[in-house]
Amino acid sequence: MKLAGLIVAFAAAIAFTAMGNSYYVFIMATLGLTALVGIGLNVLLGLTGQVSFGHVGFYAIGAYTAAVLTVTLKWNFWLALPVAALLAGATGALLALPAMRVRGPYLAMVTIAFGFVIENIAVEWRGVTGGQNGIMGSARPTFLDTERAIAIAAIVLAALATWGFHVLTRTRWGAAMRAVKDSEVAAESIGLDPVRIKTAAFAISAFCAGVAGAFFFALSGFVTPSTFAFSQSILFVLVVIIGGAGSLAGPLVGATIVVLLPEFLAALAEYRLLFFGALLLVVLWLAPDGVVGVVQRLAGRRRKPRLAPAADVTLGEPRRAVLQAERIGIAFGGLKAATDVSLRADAGRITSLIGPNGAGKTTVLNMLSGFYRPDAGAIRIGGVEVQGRAAWRVARAGIARTYQTTQLFGSMTVAENLAIAGGGEALLSFVNYRGDLDVRAADLPHVDKRLVEIARALATRPSVLLLDEPAAGLSRQDKQTLAVLLQRIADSGIAVVLVEHDMDVVMGISDTVVVLDAGVVIASGAPADVQRDPAVRKAYLGEHALEPRGARAAGSGRPFLVVDRLEAGYGAEPVLKGVALEVREREMVAVLGANGAGKSTLMRAISGLLRPVKGGIAFGGEDITRLPAHNVMPRGLVLVPEGRQVFPELSVLHNLELGAFRRGDDAKADIESMLERFPRLRARLHQRAGLLSGGEQQMLAIARGLMARPKLLLLDEPSLGLAPAVINDLFAALDRLRAESATILLVDQMAGLALALADRAYVIEGGRIVASGAASEIAATGALEKAYLAVN
Amino acid sequence: MIGSALVSGLGLGSMYGLIALGFYVTYAVSSTVNFAQGSSMMLGAVFAYTFAVKFGWHFVPAAAMSLVLCALYGLLVEIVAVRPFARRGSNAWLMATVALGIVADNTVLFTFGREPRGFVLPWASEGLMVLGIHVSKMQLAIPAFGLGLAALLHWFARGTKYGKAMLAVVQNADAARLMGINVPLAIMAAYAVSTAFAGAAGIMIAPLFNVHSDMGTLFGLKAFAVAILGGLTSAWGVMLAGLLFGIVESLITAFLGSSYTQILTFTLVIVALAIMPNGLFGRAELKKV
Repeated sequence: MKLAGLIVAFAAAIAFTAMGNSYYVFIMATLGLTALVGIGLNVLLGLTGQVSFGHVGFYAIGAYTAAVLTVTLKWNFWLALPVAALLAGATGALLALPAMRVRGPYLAMVTIAFGFVIENIAVEWRGVTGGQNGIMGSARPTFLDTERAIAIAAIVLAALATWGFHVLTRTRWGAAMRAVKDSEVAAESIGLDPVRIKTAAFAISAFCAGVAGAFFFALSGFVTPSTFAFSQSILFVLVVIIGGAGSLAGPLVGATIVVLLPEFLAALAEYRLLFFGALLLVVLWLAPDGVVGVVQRLAGRRRKPRLAPAADVTLGEPRRAVLQAERIGIAFGGLKAATDVSLRADAGRITSLIGPNGAGKTTVLNMLSGFYRPDAGAIRIGGVEVQGRAAWRVARAGIARTYQTTQLFGSMTVAENLAIAGGGEALLSFVNYRGDLDVRAADLPHVDKRLVEIARALATRPSVLLLDEPAAGLSRQDKQTLAVLLQRIADSGIAVVLVEHDMDVVMGISDTVVVLDAGVVIASGAPADVQRDPAVRKAYLGEHALEPRGARAAGSGRPFLVVDRLEAGYGAEPVLKGVALEVREREMVAVLGANGAGKSTLMRAISGLLRPVKGGIAFGGEDITRLPAHNVMPRGLVLVPEGRQVFPELSVLHNLELGAFRRGDDAKADIESMLERFPRLRARLHQRAGLLSGGEQQMLAIARGLMARPKLLLLDEPSLGLAPAVINDLFAALDRLRAESATILLVDQMAGLALALADRAYVIEGGRIVASGAASEIAATGALEKAYLAVN
Repeated sequence: MIGSALVSGLGLGSMYGLIALGFYVTYAVSSTVNFAQGSSMMLGAVFAYTFAVKFGWHFVPAAAMSLVLCALYGLLVEIVAVRPFARRGSNAWLMATVALGIVADNTVLFTFGREPRGFVLPWASEGLMVLGIHVSKMQLAIPAFGLGLAALLHWFARGTKYGKAMLAVVQNADAARLMGINVPLAIMAAYAVSTAFAGAAGIMIAPLFNVHSDMGTLFGLKAFAVAILGGLTSAWGVMLAGLLFGIVESLITAFLGSSYTQILTFTLVIVALAIMPNGLFGRAELKKV
């Protein structure tokens, strides 16, 4: 249907060119050549997602090569043409080398610089290029000895290129290009080498521009450097963007607009750059998918969904292999994220990696899958060492993985996501995906994204499957289905490595559980043994040695902070599903719950960092639900965020001063009182905050929060990643605040610490409050241990 | 010859550095840049010419007024070409700022005129002998002014409350919001400063070159190369890269002739980025998955 339309359009263009007068012939030739460059650029920009602001360089190489060969060396044009095109293509592949290593504005710079280098070589290499005067010659190609014939040839070329683009998008290479554009990380994890794919895209794209350049010379009979100015590169980009990057007809529509519009609107001709600049802005604002995208949306092609079959599928036998990590470790800027981690994942078994937030679990997965290069240690799969290899090589060695935030190829359909990894629809049946095969992966509901990602990982026929928090954000029922699925994957002979916070899932299906804390393995063994291990309980629940302070008389009774039926989250599925709680004046309230229960989301929503979807938040009698964070804070509600988040490049003093940013008065006296409260900060006052230890940073973060003289202080995971001795200091500091009758809402994984301090507590699980009451009551019931370690 | 090449290299380099600092300021706060900084520079020169020559104002108020207008143009860039895209997480700001630059250049082309205008400041071309080298006052004023502005930026960032707030936004936008800092406002301010810096460079350069609508293109691109080489993450790195770039360019011109300047400098840019993808003074960013 679409193809038929294109064929008609090309036939009409050829007919028009065959009959039109010489003015139209020249325009149609320009149109054909511009479209040809556009189609080539579309491979780079549209399919692979790499911008080039230097494409005129390739166009110039094509034109000058043809000119030099036919005029100076008297070659036949048909011999010169392939040389010109190949030279441009080879230059493209060469330019890809530096371009590979950079992205975004850096890549734009490389391509711009390239364009300028070529333009200036054309100016300065006078002996060959004729300098500013260029090369003049009327060596018309055999068979194409009229302008009309060249114009028709240009249109035929554009048609051929369109067809080529169509074919390319249907091949594995085309799919791989789109995969690289959507998610380079995911592309690597299914064994695609982004370097080769981008190089190919650069070469194809440059080749097309080279062909167009050669024909441009044949058409006009001269080349001068001024034809190949920077602004021409911008016009080429414009052709692709206006039409619609990535779409088949996009560059044709774009070229038509860019070439024809100024010709038909004579008044516009002079102002064409002005007009194109404005047009590009408008297109970017209103129609990021270009003209073709808008038309497609308006047409709203309804198609019947093609559902994944509900068949009973079993996985084939994988290459069985053991994954072994021996004493691997990595440090980032001196901070040890993982040290001496050893683990072994056997074929057919589920090995889970658990630990509190910030324990280094994802870091270990990143090392196992080749995204991080370990500083020390060895990683072996089936006896082959893979540490330090590129991620795509590790993937080919048989290690597949999924991600905390799913990394599907969003613009590709579910079926395409599977096909590019080498798998068919049967795998979708295997993972219980029952949805549409032709829907874009980006439009899938959350649970389906997880399933399709797992299916795609399986499509690479891995020996080992690494999963990073696959249950996060799933409903209880979906989690159970997932647990069964993981079990079936293991039963097929694959070694499954699971990082997961949901202890029901972990304890239910794991053969071995490895517990990480602060980057070190603290326990390893069967689930029941790990659950009983005192070191693990301490890591999760904190010191029980802390003396409970006991509840105080209830506060003044006035509710200070009221959260009502709050729903909030980041994607389709809300993290908080109707949370209600209140904090009274002079009260210390704890919110407890396992990782991923929604504690930090709650804190972000209250402080205004995250806008709630539903429900309300009132503070001091005022509705603050919709206020942005910078307007919530001056009202006296101050959050000390998770992970401390001090400003690492600023000194301790400047961090403290920023805490008082919204206070009009002099904060000097308060800084002095903070240094008395946290004496260890005094010696560090003029050091960069990033150089402080974790404990000192936490003290600084609290001090910075107190500088605002908060009426209500929110503390998010203050004990996260701190050593036990430091936690005692922290406890003392919080106890002092409590004694000063500060109003505090405290979130902490270390239930022991929080309950020892708090007057009241709420337990949150799966985005809902499941228990609340006096801190001592909560400590006495088993609700907490169940929520944390799935101990029944 | 080396002496005069160094002097003119320092002058050019400090201007590249100044425009590049404009890239740095916005990139640091928002991870976006106005790709058409050259247009901001050109606007500075055109405004200053209009006020000083056409309207006959004294140079100082003319320059001050130009800077104000450039800053306003910076706000326009942020609102029109950056914010709508940054908000939806798209990197189309890159092309949108290019588009806005094209609009600005061509608007000037049709209002200001096609012909290059000479911006003659009698005091600026007076000569001096410094260490046996003949230099014009302007050639001395430019690096002094460029480095002065860079120092001013440094003082503002380190020594004032609002400067520190900007640095806080750079380092952790969420934490900055929790300090009560209005992040969108900080980004707008960064854009205003950024274009004002480029405008200042335009005003300084105008007396040495002619004023016309696309005088900024090449300057802006070279300044971008400088910013990239400087690593976009360090203000001093950017300024230093600017001076280096200017000196290298002048030396190439002096010893190999002007024909090779563009070819060699841009080739050096490509090679430098191929070897050091984060620039000469930039830090590697950690890839997170």
